[in-house]
Amino acid sequence: MEKGTTIEIRWHGRGGQGAVTSAELTALAAMREGKYAQAFPSFGPERRGAPVLAFNRISQDTPIRIRSGVVKPDIVIVLDPGLVTLINVVDGLKPGGALIVNSTRSVDDLKQEFSGDWKLAVVNASAIARELLGVNIVNTTMLGALIRATGIINMESLTEPLAEKFGARSKSNFEACNRAFKETAQDKITTTGPKKQKSFQAEKLPRWNELLVGCAVTDVGNTKRFCTGDWKSEHPEWNDAVCIQCGICSIYCPEACISEQSDGYFRSNPFFCKGCGICAQECWTKAIKMVEGS
Amino acid sequence: MASKRIGIEASLAIAEAVKLANTDVIAAYPITPQTHIVEGLAEMVANGDLDAEYIPVESEHSAMSACLGSSAVGARTFTATAGQGLILMHEVLLVAASMRLPIVMAVANRALSGPLNVWGDQSDAMVTRDGGWIQIFVENGQQAFDQVICGFYIAEHPDVLLPTMINVDGFHVSHVIESVEMLDRKTVDEFLPPYKHKYVLDPDNPVTLGCFAAPNMYTETRKALDTAVRESKKVILEAWKKYGDLTGRYYKPIEQYKADKADTLLVLAGGYSENAMDTIDKMQSEGKKVGLVRVRLWRPFPHDEMVEALSGASNVIVFDRAISLGGPAPICSEIRDTLYSVEKRPRIASIVGGLGGRDVSPADFEKIFEIGLERIKSRRADETYMYGVRE
Ligand code: SF4
Ligand code: SF4
Repeated sequence: MEKGTTIEIRWHGRGGQGAVTSAELTALAAMREGKYAQAFPSFGPERRGAPVLAFNRISQDTPIRIRSGVVKPDIVIVLDPGLVTLINVVDGLKPGGALIVNSTRSVDDLKQEFSGDWKLAVVNASAIARELLGVNIVNTTMLGALIRATGIINMESLTEPLAEKFGARSKSNFEACNRAFKETAQDKITTTGPKKQKSFQAEKLPRWNELLVGCAVTDVGNTKRFCTGDWKSEHPEWNDAVCIQCGICSIYCPEACISEQSDGYFRSNPFFCKGCGICAQECWTKAIKMVEGS
Repeated sequence: MASKRIGIEASLAIAEAVKLANTDVIAAYPITPQTHIVEGLAEMVANGDLDAEYIPVESEHSAMSACLGSSAVGARTFTATAGQGLILMHEVLLVAASMRLPIVMAVANRALSGPLNVWGDQSDAMVTRDGGWIQIFVENGQQAFDQVICGFYIAEHPDVLLPTMINVDGFHVSHVIESVEMLDRKTVDEFLPPYKHKYVLDPDNPVTLGCFAAPNMYTETRKALDTAVRESKKVILEAWKKYGDLTGRYYKPIEQYKADKADTLLVLAGGYSENAMDTIDKMQSEGKKVGLVRVRLWRPFPHDEMVEALSGASNVIVFDRAISLGGPAPICSEIRDTLYSVEKRPRIASIVGGLGGRDVSPADFEKIFEIGLERIKSRRADETYMYGVRE
């Protein structure tokens, strides 16, 4: 790292995927190297499965005082493959910066989505995490891709923070991180423009004098338009052969999107199912299995 | 206008006003610290004199929560509390304001713990000052009666829709039996239109009330609420004008007593103003150029009226019945803030007294004038002076 510079990182993940832990581990590792570092979450109404952000600032030699969010990152890391097409992950990414993505897609393919003077690094972290950790939680795996693409911290500096955070499970997490380091593929994105053009709509927020008295909301049922189905990377599948039609799954679903069909069995509404897996956890006959993909 | 003068305790005069206003719901915690206001109302409802829902709840927090619900369905809602009770309501008070629910509440102002003290001072009102309620101070039973009726007019006006607090000094006003001129039902009906909120909870026309606001919205919601509180003054003036035309009793945001030729003004809010009036009479008869300024409207703060009332005087002595521990006394600090931009401004002395029920008689106010002037002369006026403390 160059003297006098501060590198800013933005992590994109989903509630429950551990983006905050990634940022935390990155900062702890950097501080072990004698650097100054900061890690913080976006302070929002997080819900399991909702898109969330976490941030880092790392400086070689200067204490970091700034407490605002990162808006012009040097590095963007995307933990959830689905987010790339859902939100503008490269928003504010500095020229010469790096975009690091967990995806089953190839670098060549993913490159087509973006236009800018950036480095692109891609790794199938979900596959690695599932194989080595047994769950699709890629927060430690993606650290390997970060190290490979940017060298902002050293692999060894992660040993102790990982041990403190994960105890007995730190070994497999370290292994996943190492594997991602090896398997990360890299290329350059150009500014010539994406072949597939995407537009992300900025949220239109009201002025103070446009609010209704007492902030009443008269747009009845507007939550129906809130497509939480966009959040999922896994979805439930029902095995009706063991289902006893007790309805417990539908009671526990936080999106209330499981309903009884005419045959008495239960199904989720893919438009609202956010893939949290609570139904599978609560079903006592193990009739529900979480399956990758939406 | 038909009216009759009767002898009645101020608390019960307030209950009568609530009855005359055809209140739909009263929710209150009936045990200490409570006043005869809700006791009187409970009796009226039980006897069938008032066709209202009376909800006895398990705490003041619940009392305000129940009021919030009833006001949100479009019911005219009243409650009363005092001291610690107001403090326990605090969380919900602020929600009521932000939801723009026109609840009317009488507060028999009392000291706050600790040590435990249930007697009168205005600390409770001052603690709730910043929460978006309209706050009006009264000085006697008649004003309490009048302002409760005006309170409903103001709170429920479509341009206002804000909860309104009528501050009545605990004991020195709330528990005093005195003569009050009542109004009849017809007159009140004429003055007070029925309550109609634009957004009520109604299964046939669903709305969402009281939702949350993230950082990208909260500032706008606060600006909207602040503007509503500030602009409510127009309607407050209108209400008091109409009420005056109807009853002959006119009210103003800042009221003066024999103050036009005064060189030294005493400023205070609440019942002790009447004690101070005797003092003014006596001192003026001795040729002293003193006068009295009473704070009627506390929120929204009547900036212009305050400037007008005070900027002609050389000396101002502000008497607060509340203490801000470690800081300037509440009314005085606002007056200093108000006068800062005035070119030729009076010198101001801050005096705190009458805490936790301690009496401040007309003779005491004479001493307060003396002390205030002495402190202004010796340039020690910047610190708050505590009147009557044993040293
Ligand atoms: S259906 Fe299951 S996985 Fe989908 S939101 Fe409901 S509980 Fe979560
Ligand atoms: S909880 Fe399991 S057994 Fe019960 S209805 Fe749901 S899927 Fe069937």
